[in-house]
This record gives sequence, structure tokens and C-alpha cells, in this order.
Amino acid sequence: MAPYKDVFPAVALFILKSGKLIMLGGDDGGYHSGLRAELRFANPMAKTVAPIDKEGDIMRKFFILIIIMTSGMFSVAGIECFAADEIKVGAVQPITGRFAFAGVQINQGLEDALMMANEEGGINGKQIKYIMEDGTYNVDKAVAAFKRIMAKDKPIIMYGESTGLGKAIAPEVRDRYKVLYSSTSFSSELADAAANPYVFVPGPTYSDMFGILLKYIAKEKPGANVAFFYSDTEFGRDPVPYGRKMCKKLGLNLVAEEVAKVGGVDVASQVLDLKRKKAEYVIFQGFVLSPVSAVIKQARDYGLKVKFMGTHWGTHKMLLDKMGPLAEGYLGVMPYAFYYQDDIPMIKKIQAWNQKHHPDVKYRPTSYMQGFMTGLVFVECLKRADKAGDLTGEGLVKALQSIKNFDVGGLMAPISVVNNKIPMGRVYKANVGKKQFEPISDWIRTD
Amino acid sequence: MRCGDFKETYVKDEEIFQSVFVKFWLVLFFIFLFGIPWLVNEYILYIANLIGFAIIGAVGLNLLTGFTGQISLGHAAFVGVGGYTTAILMTKLNFSFWMALPCAGFVAAVAGLIIGIPSLRVKGLYLCMATLAAQFIFEFIFIHWESLTHGIRGINVPAPSIGDFALDTEKRFYYLTLVIAILAVTYARNLTRSRVGRAFVAIRDRDLAAEIMGISLFRYKLTAFAISSFYAGVAGALWVSFMRIVTPDHFPFHLSIQYLAMIIVGGLGSVLGSIFGAIFMILTPEMLNVLSGALSEMIPGMGQLFIPMKEVVFGALIVLFLIFEPLGLAEIWRRIKTFFLLWPFSY
Repeated sequence: MAPYKDVFPAVALFILKSGKLIMLGGDDGGYHSGLRAELRFANPMAKTVAPIDKEGDIMRKFFILIIIMTSGMFSVAGIECFAADEIKVGAVQPITGRFAFAGVQINQGLEDALMMANEEGGINGKQIKYIMEDGTYNVDKAVAAFKRIMAKDKPIIMYGESTGLGKAIAPEVRDRYKVLYSSTSFSSELADAAANPYVFVPGPTYSDMFGILLKYIAKEKPGANVAFFYSDTEFGRDPVPYGRKMCKKLGLNLVAEEVAKVGGVDVASQVLDLKRKKAEYVIFQGFVLSPVSAVIKQARDYGLKVKFMGTHWGTHKMLLDKMGPLAEGYLGVMPYAFYYQDDIPMIKKIQAWNQKHHPDVKYRPTSYMQGFMTGLVFVECLKRADKAGDLTGEGLVKALQSIKNFDVGGLMAPISVVNNKIPMGRVYKANVGKKQFEPISDWIRTD
Repeated sequence: MRCGDFKETYVKDEEIFQSVFVKFWLVLFFIFLFGIPWLVNEYILYIANLIGFAIIGAVGLNLLTGFTGQISLGHAAFVGVGGYTTAILMTKLNFSFWMALPCAGFVAAVAGLIIGIPSLRVKGLYLCMATLAAQFIFEFIFIHWESLTHGIRGINVPAPSIGDFALDTEKRFYYLTLVIAILAVTYARNLTRSRVGRAFVAIRDRDLAAEIMGISLFRYKLTAFAISSFYAGVAGALWVSFMRIVTPDHFPFHLSIQYLAMIIVGGLGSVLGSIFGAIFMILTPEMLNVLSGALSEMIPGMGQLFIPMKEVVFGALIVLFLIFEPLGLAEIWRRIKTFFLLWPFSY
């Protein structure tokens, strides 16, 4: 245990005491007492001196509050709960910030998968403890939260909130912390078993998703004209080089690459360019909502006969809800099953769990499934590592790489971990009436 | 009984260490600073490092905004210039960190000189806009000059090392940060009581009057920009070699605002204020994070409510500070000192 934990409560107490002295002493040094003396001098009739201005009082109380909060925080941080035979899983989640819309769900999914495993008897009898901190989708703060968890709880598995955190922490995960690490990111840069053996992606990377879509196109219409439509962010550009290569390999004709701002609305020039270059298939990458609907609307207005497609973050119910009838014919690749596919055993299980533990939840988005899937893989790794008697980061990586044809109850097809990822997905088509995505292909693998 | 400091010369009045007591406490404080790594864990040290970078950056901005009165919304861009210079020099030209660090400062200073030119013509809100442009121009360069900056993917940077001794842990890096922060603060403090510092203040208070007195606005405004950007560049160089990666995401516009908030909360025109401000702006969100995390652990199921509340609390804290102490944390500190001057025998 780090010595600071003993030191801080004591320091905090000292600050608290001296803080009270400073703030409650009824005197703030020479200034006001001097003033009072002057007042007394100037007005000898006055028996009592006017009280110090109210503003000062409020400020004192305010400071006491801050000091109490500060000391409280440090004492709280110092408390540690120990339980024998507990396996710790840490997570830095984007609960606030730009990515919170998904982060909250990912967090819930991951937690539910781990708690479900606990309810079913844990990891060969050991219970999992889930420790979560908010990373606010900011690299500095996320790294801080990561280090805080590592310092305080020393978990053997960590989950991260963003590609940025993954890149910043990857060298340290490899050389220093040696924990199994997964994250919300499908970045292909992180899924590299040689460079980052501890980092794993719970699904296909964006590149794999492009590969799956392009394979689908090549099967449906060989030699078709394809265009990529991506945002000028890391998220948007990630799979583009791989996509170019795949187009060549599959004999597809990459006619255009359009770049737009996230959330932009003025996409007329890009849509006209798509028309001019006679694109037949357009794949979106790097957007969640805008400008996907704007692009599709304008393309329909100009009478373009184009099939629009999206990757993981472009294949969710929110998009269908927003687009309405415009979504007719929209295709998307998704590695996980949807919440409404209740013929799948794992979905049934998830629905039952949610009815029991979160009774007011009616729908769980795909980000929840992503978190849940990650949890399933974590649990399986823990079980295998524990059986091998090597419950460490290295043991977990070995366990991860040994996963072959593992049944996940239909949330994905039986999974095999290849190069620390699960390169597999399915193409879905929007059903505008039901506002649902329906599978139109079997599971497509890219390995 | 000691009841005050009586100074007989102006030189005495301008001394940094005014009494034996100050020197005594300062020595104790330095011993404490150098001893921190032996008391705390890596997380606290990580935060300490971030505070160090923020202090260097904030002191730099305070020299420009607090002392010279030239508001800048592009400080993060200069931090970025410093960071990228270090990364590029270390990876492409195989410079050692010790060479790259001053280079980063100088390159940022040159960038600052160029961006500072409009300050000769425009003031106040207009200068705000001009420096804001710098922020966006540099952000664009970081993203799109791919051959040099590797675009959005960023550059991995090796850790600084002395011979074979790599400064690759928080503890080792902490000493580097500490030494440079002390140097930076000392220089700034001395600068403010020199001829240049007085020129800065004269320009801030009334630039026309300053010009009439014979202070060259051209020279001193640009000097302020250059020094401020030099500080930013050094902060960026340290930041990048500490995180060991640089991407354009690390220098967003809101970092500029954060620096500005640091010096306003800490106290404009006060070196000590920038230190307080930097500590406040880095530490408070972390503390709130710890607190909200602990609260949601104690009261299960309320996490969704507590965790986002910390942003609200942080915002409210800043507003309260500005209302109750517009002169910043430095002023609060001064009052505390005054109180203890005669304590416990104040009348």
C-alpha cells in the first residue's frame, strides 16, 4: 500500500484545522483589524464595531466547504476494500464528454457481462470486481484515470475509452503494466499482436469492416464503382488505405473519396462529385449521425441511384430513427446481434437480465452489445487463465490467443481470435417500417 | 517581537526573499517538492507532472496577458509547435531531448513573433481574433502536413535519457519537470522586476503613455509574445516527451481557453497566481473525479448522476471564485499571509 494513503488524511486534517483558523478567526490579518481600529477612532460613540462585510463571510464559508471537500476526497481515496479471491477488472469509460452517448452504454454492457458471470458462479468460484472511472474523452484525463486505477487497485484487465488513450498508453501497457487491454476503439493500428500483444479489439477493426462491405459488394456486383465518404478525423481515415488496397484486390473500381466535416450540413459539392463520378456504392466512415442523412437526402434529390453503407458507428437505431423513410436501402456492417433479434439465445439472456436489473430499459443499442461482447471475452480469458493457474497479464494473453471457435450464444458467430481481434461481421439492411436492421448476409470473415 | 518588515530602500522592497522566514519556508518547501516522489504513488506523480507543464505554460501566458496586457487565444498552438518540434527533431533528425528542448522553445518563440505582429495594430477583442486564427492555422498544419507531422496518427517519441538512464517513469520525469519549472518561474519572477518587466506593465496600463515615455511598443510587445511562446514551446516539449506521443488532438482550442482560465483564476499579472491557477485547474477536476467516483461507489446506481455532475461543480467553482475574489487565488494567498504575519498576536 502506498504510503500517501496514510499521509493524506493527516495532512487533510491539518489543512482543515488551519483552514478553520484562517477562515473563522474572525480576522483576516492586519487589513480589517486596522480598519476597525480606525472606525473606533473616528467614531468614539460607537460601542460595537460594524461587522465585517457579508461578502467576506460567505467567502470564508465557501473556503471551508472546499477544504472539507478536499480532505474528504483524499480520505475517501485512501480507503481500500480488500476481499479475498477477487479478480479486479478496471475500466476508463467516456461517461462524460463527446463520446458519452455510447460510453454510458458500453460501460453498462461490460459491467452487465461481468456481473452475469459473477451470478453464474464467477471465475471458478472467484468473484469479479468491476472498477470504473470516467475518462471524459480527453487523453490527459483518461491517462490519469488509467494510472489512478492501476495505482489503487492493480487490476489484471483494463478497458479504455478511446483510440487516443489506447495509443498513449500502449507502450506502457506492453513494458510496464502488462495487463490485458481492450477498448471502445476499432482502430486497426491498435490491433497488432506483434507490436501490442496485450491489446485486443473485441470485433473486426474498421479496416475489417471495410473489407466485409467490399467483399459483399464484389459478390453482389463485380467491378462496381465504389466511393468512400469519410470524416477528416483519425476515426474517419483509419480504414481508408486498407480499403484502397482491398478495392484493387477485389477488382472494384474506387471512383471517389469524399471528405466532410463531422456534423457538417453543406455536402452539395461532395454529392455532385459522387454523381459526376457515377458511384454505385458509397461507404461512410467516421460519422455517427450528421452528415449521413444530409448526404443521402441530397443524393436522392439529385436522383442518384447509389447504395449507401456504414460501418459499426453508422449502423445503429438512432440513425434509422432520424432518417425515417430516407433510410430505405441503407446497408451496414455489424459484428454483433441487435437487441430485438430475440431468436438468439444470448440476446434472450441479455433481455432477461435487463428486465431483472434495469426494468425501465426498453432498448439497448449496439454500443451496449460491444461492451457486453468485450465482457464475454474477458470472462472466457479469465476462466482459461485461472484454469492454467496463470492469472496474470501474460496468462490472459495466452488464454486470449487460445480462443478458437468459442460459442458466444449467437451474439457473434463462434469466435476465433486472430491477431488479437475477431475479424468477422454481417451485413444488415435497414427496414424502414420497423426501424430495424435485418441481416441480409451470413457472417463474413476477412482473415 | 517582530511586528512587520520595515524597508528603507526600493531595492529592499523589490527583493524576492524578503526575510529570513521566507527563505526558511522556501527551503523547506523545496525539500518537500524534491521529496514528493518518495511519498506518493505514480498516479499522484503523473498529476504532479501535468501540473508542472501547466505551470510553465501558464507563467508564459501570464507574462503576455497578465503583465503586457496582450490577450492570446492561441497559446495551445504554441504548446503544439513546441511539442511537434521536439517530436520531429527527436525522431527525424535524431536529436537528443536536451538539444530538442531549447529548439522547441525557440521555434515556438519564432512562431509567437509572427503571430504577435498583429498586436502592433490591434488591441483587445480584435487581438483575440488574430491569435485565435493562429490556433486554427497551426491545428490545420498539424493535421495536414502529413510528411512532417504524420497527420492524425501522430508521432511516437522516445523518452529523454541521460546516457543509458531513461527518464521513462513518472518519478524520473518529475525531477526534470520540477527543475525546468523552477527555472521557468525564477526567470519570470526576475523578468517582472527588471526593465523589461516594467516596460511590459507600462504597456499594459497605457500603451500610448508608454510609447511617449520612450518604451518601444514594437520591441516589447514582440518580446512578450516571443517569451510567452518560448514558455509554451518548452511546456509542449515536456508534455510530448512525457506522454511519448504527439497527435493534433492534444492541442485543441479548449486548451488555450484552459490556460487563460488558469491565469484568470490564479491572478492576472502575478507569477505566483499562474502557479496557483495551474494547480487549481488540473487538480480540481481530478479531485472531483475521485469524489464522484467514490460517491457513486458508496451509493450504487447513482453513478450516472454523480459523474456528469463534476463538470457542473467545476464550472460553478470557477464562477464563484471570480465573483468572490476577482483578483484570483494569488490575492487569497496574500491575505492568508497577512493574517499569519502577526498571528497569533494580532489585535
